[in-house]
Amino acid sequence: MDERFDLVYRLLDDQLVDVDGRRCGRVDDVELTGAAGEPLVVTGLLTGRGAYAARLPARWRRLARALFGRDVRGSTARRVPWTEVSDVGVTVALRRRAADLGLDGDDWRPLDRVPGG
Amino acid sequence: MKAVLQIALGIIAAIGGFVDIGDLVFNSQAGAVFGYELMWAVPIGVLGIGLYAEMCGRVAAVTKRPVFDVIRMRLGLTTGLIVLVASLFVNLLTVAAEIGGVGLLLQLFFDAPFTLFALLGALALATIIWFVPFEGLERLFGYAGLALFVFVAAALYLGPDWHSVARGFVPEAKSSTLYWYFVVGLVAAALMPYEVYFYSSGAVEERWGPGDLRVNRLNAVIGYGIGGLLSLGIMVSAAQLFAPAGVSPDHLGTVPLLAQVPFGETGLLLALLGMLFAIGGAAVDASFAGAYSIAQFAGWEWGKYRRASGAPRFTLAWLLFFALGLIVLMTGIDPLDLTEYSVVLSVVALPLTYLPVLLIARDRTFMGDHVNGAIAGSLGWVYFVVLVVVAVVAIPLLLATNAGAG
Repeated sequence: MDERFDLVYRLLDDQLVDVDGRRCGRVDDVELTGAAGEPLVVTGLLTGRGAYAARLPARWRRLARALFGRDVRGSTARRVPWTEVSDVGVTVALRRRAADLGLDGDDWRPLDRVPGG
Repeated sequence: MKAVLQIALGIIAAIGGFVDIGDLVFNSQAGAVFGYELMWAVPIGVLGIGLYAEMCGRVAAVTKRPVFDVIRMRLGLTTGLIVLVASLFVNLLTVAAEIGGVGLLLQLFFDAPFTLFALLGALALATIIWFVPFEGLERLFGYAGLALFVFVAAALYLGPDWHSVARGFVPEAKSSTLYWYFVVGLVAAALMPYEVYFYSSGAVEERWGPGDLRVNRLNAVIGYGIGGLLSLGIMVSAAQLFAPAGVSPDHLGTVPLLAQVPFGETGLLLALLGMLFAIGGAAVDASFAGAYSIAQFAGWEWGKYRRASGAPRFTLAWLLFFALGLIVLMTGIDPLDLTEYSVVLSVVALPLTYLPVLLIARDRTFMGDHVNGAIAGSLGWVYFVVLVVVAVVAIPLLLATNAGAG
């Protein structure tokens, strides 16, 4: 990776892909840890519709919370520790399977038993 | 031979998108009302969609990012959300219009209520999508839609006045708002955004890589070239048959007459078959385009290649599009009115879907050596300006002409 890393250009809003190559959400927000005047360190990514409201313009937030749900960690927004990220390229690749990281939206499988498809 | 099979993606994208209910309506009406005068608008649309589709296909082949992926990534959450809402709305109108078109055509064969056929058409299409793999869908709808060539044959057979045809390719500065409404409609019908959502996602479905860029270019040229030829065929035959007779095709069932007059029963059947598959294919494209958009915006797993159980939210999304499209039709809106609204409103959403693609296609960080060349780059910006102008004038013209009703 280059020394300079543009978080918005390279990371924010990008596609998360798990170790099996399955798409499992987007980088809906980035968690930075640190304090004013000190180095800020990327410690995690947030993914899920619960993270939308905080990023939208203030006057839309109430509507967004009603539409997409509040930020409930572990439910509508899930945190992926930065240490679980293996590569930031065309997509943001994760070290483990989506289900192991709690990103299991597409493991809900009502269509498994329907023939065809 | 392999290359011939591979351009199927371009053909279905072109037929079931370029020549869909919107084109059938706008081209036949343009020919009926203005004769050959509006032919120049067709190549403007064709060049635009070819250029845009080539860029989208190239971006998808090189970066594995289809259009809505790029929109979300380049425009961010807020603007991306606006584009998503606008696109989904227009997409829904389009799905409803195309299902309505299938219903209207089926109704020509049997005497029964329209809503019954809309329902049967939607069920038949959903069943076909469910069981047929992606490549099969392309071939089925793309190649059967080629029956529309009967309109090109009709246009030639009827012996057009080639002087007028040639003059038709020169734009005129008319003061008639109806004329400009049709110009916008023809350009917009060619450049419906769902076509590129479908095309670029299809490139990922078919696992394109940088080695497929030649096929992509062929797709853009041949696929949309065919689409443009078919559009012109419809317009020219309407100019010869409908314009002198003062017929305005305000029912979809009038359009196949363009082939029946010169070629009798065979022409009629070919026209109906081609229209059925072209419009049915467009219903497939548009419902998938909607599902692709939501899934790519939210980061869900998507794609027919994942099978229904591997991408459940995507699968439910396209099924939902069919269901909602039917509900829109059940309100009793005339499918042809729906078509005009979906075409004209889609052009308003177009600049924002086009810009991010243009931005990433010139970005070396993502595209490496496959960035836009000088021609694609400069033409790309010229078209961006054209699209902004068309988007700005579209709704005023829609209102001023009462959706083309004069």
